[in-house]
Amino acid sequence: MKQLQKGRVWLLLTLMLALALVISACSSDDADSDSSSSSDGTDEPSDSTNDGTDGAISGDLEIQYFVGGYGDSWWKEVIADFKEANPDVNIVEHAGPNINEEMRSRWVSNDPPDVVYIDGAGSSETQMVEDGQLMNLTEWVKEIELEGGDKLIDSFIVAPASYDGDIYSLPLVFDTWGTWYDRALFDEKGYEVPTDFDSFMSSMEKIKEGEDIDPLVTSGQHPYYFMRGMLYPAFAAAGGEELLADLISGAEGAWSSDVTLETMKKVEEIQKAGFFDSGLGALNHTQSQMNFLLHDNAFVPVGFWLPNEMANDIPEGFDFGFIPSPMQDAGEPFAIVPDLRPLAIAENAENPEAAKAFVEFVFTREYAMSFSEHTGAIMNINGVDLTENENVPSYLTEANAMINDPEQVQIYEKPYPMSADLETPLGNALMSLMLGNMTAEQFVEEAEKAAAEYRSGL
Amino acid sequence: MVQSKKQKYMFLAFCLVPTFILFAIFTLYPLFSGLYYSFFDWSGSSSNKTFIGFGNYIKLFNDAIIPNTIIHDYFLVVTKVIGIMVLAMFFAVALTQLKLKEAPFYRVIFFFPNIMSVVVIGILWMFIYNPSIGLVNSGLEFIGLESLAKPWLGDEKWALPSLVLPSVWAGIGLFMLMLIGGISNIDKSYYEAAEIDGATQWQQYWKVTVPLLWPQIKIAILYIVITTLNGSFVIVQVMTGGGPNNATHVMGSYLYQQAFVQFNFGYGATIGVMILVLSLLTVLILQFFMRREKVDY
Repeated sequence: MKQLQKGRVWLLLTLMLALALVISACSSDDADSDSSSSSDGTDEPSDSTNDGTDGAISGDLEIQYFVGGYGDSWWKEVIADFKEANPDVNIVEHAGPNINEEMRSRWVSNDPPDVVYIDGAGSSETQMVEDGQLMNLTEWVKEIELEGGDKLIDSFIVAPASYDGDIYSLPLVFDTWGTWYDRALFDEKGYEVPTDFDSFMSSMEKIKEGEDIDPLVTSGQHPYYFMRGMLYPAFAAAGGEELLADLISGAEGAWSSDVTLETMKKVEEIQKAGFFDSGLGALNHTQSQMNFLLHDNAFVPVGFWLPNEMANDIPEGFDFGFIPSPMQDAGEPFAIVPDLRPLAIAENAENPEAAKAFVEFVFTREYAMSFSEHTGAIMNINGVDLTENENVPSYLTEANAMINDPEQVQIYEKPYPMSADLETPLGNALMSLMLGNMTAEQFVEEAEKAAAEYRSGL
Repeated sequence: MVQSKKQKYMFLAFCLVPTFILFAIFTLYPLFSGLYYSFFDWSGSSSNKTFIGFGNYIKLFNDAIIPNTIIHDYFLVVTKVIGIMVLAMFFAVALTQLKLKEAPFYRVIFFFPNIMSVVVIGILWMFIYNPSIGLVNSGLEFIGLESLAKPWLGDEKWALPSLVLPSVWAGIGLFMLMLIGGISNIDKSYYEAAEIDGATQWQQYWKVTVPLLWPQIKIAILYIVITTLNGSFVIVQVMTGGGPNNATHVMGSYLYQQAFVQFNFGYGATIGVMILVLSLLTVLILQFFMRREKVDY
């Protein structure tokens, strides 16, 4: 009996030990538990300071980049080249579609990576600036020169976002939202490619009759697709950059202004005509894009990444056509509001010299060209001639030519991305308007209320 | 065998200390840190946070979306309790009392949704509700009721009721098994005695089965209530993301949106505190209403 009891005590002791092990494993520093891979195969961030004696850089350089519609092949190329040029630097990559979530604990514990590419769900440039997580680059960026001697600051297609005159991030990817259609279908059936709002409506009417489909689709689960893809250009065309800035910052009276109301009336008009997909309220962005590819709809507002993102599902014979969203009045040029994905350096970067060297290394016309080849999108550097390059998809060269022709397209810049605190309630009300449960007047009232709440929370 | 006092305490400590440590780490610590963060203005993605006292709580009481999320949650609680309990009870009684030959087969079939992840269930039902290719709308069209077909999850009025079906479907199996366990523990002689006394099947059900099964029923209801208040988040997040226009937001999904989409982690923590308080209150009230003397025949 005694022996049995002794056995039990031993069993309990073993269990305790196991538990203690589990607990200690749980509480160990989680800094190295994220998915990281370093270029020489080691995961241990060792000494990450650079000696700085002769201006050469060394040590660990941690780079966080989101991998989404553009893939990661361009990043791999750039990082490999940088590594070759700076053999003393050990690059630790933190990359993936969920990297923003995975790295969150690092940012919270004030141990951020050195360089961050801000894109994808769970990341917000505005939020990072508000939280003081990004390095002020205002002075430094003025010194950077491109290979031909041009100043980088003068060579951006769109200038960096400005927060009270300060620059915290450099726009790397020039993306723009627009409206996609299937050129093959339009050519075959003779549908008109819209050039302004009126022709948009008449084109949708013909498609609705001819194809027996609801012509326009977007993601109801993410109303910001419609907001950024259709409304931003519409507002910009109607009220210019000033209105756009006021709307994004939630300035008093901006959302309830007459110009805004007129634009929202256009949305109401589309809804009343029954041109919105009747089921869009439930669709996430992939479903809406899939519907578009399957010809359940004829137009979808998305950014340049659409063909790359849906590459595996494109039906045979489908030919992507891209126009800036045609929400402007007849006789006006198209409006485009670029959406920029920036590269930034962490305020608390452990190796700021290497981080700066990397950022400087990336912004070249050569990499801008290879970016378009890899991703089908444009890097935010001007003077890159895509027309001669046959590896660049045709929709991109055409769009690029269009964007560069001020008679056809007017580019309007927004000051910074809209805060999620304002975008979310606006998107909800917008959804209601698109489903026909709200009028344009009610929408602007709701939007003004949301803006007031946003201002009070600042 | 005589145990010394010391041995007894040692044994108790061996049993209790690890449990307590785990409980403290995985329950008490998150609970109190949640409470702590609810007093801060914090984005949840940086180390900067500002103490704002009851600021988040004041915001909570002024937030027009909060009452709706509470109503949506309790709508799901009530419909799920009724739906799951009625069906689980029906199937449990049918599978035990009707002496079906295929009973084990049905048991497996009904339990099947329980071994699937809620995320999978949500995605599956999204296809069922799909406005153009979904089973529901095609079924309605097939029987000539196409006027009733609608984009279920994309309709402000119908999205929330549409979430009830998958939740009930996913929940039946477990509670059915629980009730089957309870029913098979009831001595057959009670039914024989009742039959001799001339009780109908229906009377046997109400006078014998339900009273003797009460402990299981009570636990099942409490369990459904608690898991719905804490877990309805998943199905909402997967199927509608709280939309359209907040029509399906429950407290949990709104918490997620505030904390991780709008970067108001402190406010999210405040919503978490509200969920805790409401869950506790609900369970206490339910306990009060469902107390019954233990029946022994």
